[in-house]
Amino acid sequence: MPGEKTEIRNNIRRLRFDHGEMTQDDLAKQAGVTRHTIMALEAGKYFPSLLLAFRIARAFGVGVDQVFEYVETSDPGLSAS
Amino acid sequence: MTNSENWAWWTLGVIALTLIAFFALVAILRNVPASQSAFALMALMALHPRSWRKFKGPQFDEREKEIAEKAQLAAFRAVWVVFIGLVMTIGFVKGWNATLSVPVWMLSSAICWALILVLTVESVTTLVLYRRG
Repeated sequence: MPGEKTEIRNNIRRLRFDHGEMTQDDLAKQAGVTRHTIMALEAGKYFPSLLLAFRIARAFGVGVDQVFEYVETSDPGLSAS
Repeated sequence: MTNSENWAWWTLGVIALTLIAFFALVAILRNVPASQSAFALMALMALHPRSWRKFKGPQFDEREKEIAEKAQLAAFRAVWVVFIGLVMTIGFVKGWNATLSVPVWMLSSAICWALILVLTVESVTTLVLYRRG
């Protein structure tokens, strides 16, 4: 939508903490990716495929919506024009 | 550092070594065709483990695969742009109906330079994309 900015936030860091300080390496192994990909995900630099999102959610035993959030914010710069 | 970044640095190192050897030979021998033997150094790239891992089955995860594909696309585009640029330049300078006769060593040289361009762009793009995330 014009004037709206969207982003996907994730709670991977918090979920790892809630799961007994699960390491990035452990999560990476369970999700079938490298630790660098988990690092990029946590930093919000990479958005996963649906398949990887489900794998990560399964690793934590929660739903995808508890790991990833779709956030919609209005962009004042665009809406003003 | 990921395996792919390691490969990119290794490749850039091998390319640098090849170019240094090539220009050193050109300066010493004053013979460009003979100096092309320096391009054999590019075989050192095969020593990196990533060069073999395609034989062991897919080991890239989705992000690595995405970066590798983008890097290959950037390399392909670079070669295409240079190729079109060269053809256009030759066409405009020599005329579109001109006949060119070039020595055979120039063909092998063109392939080696194209390979250097592809690998350089692919390596640099790989490093940049990993830095960006």
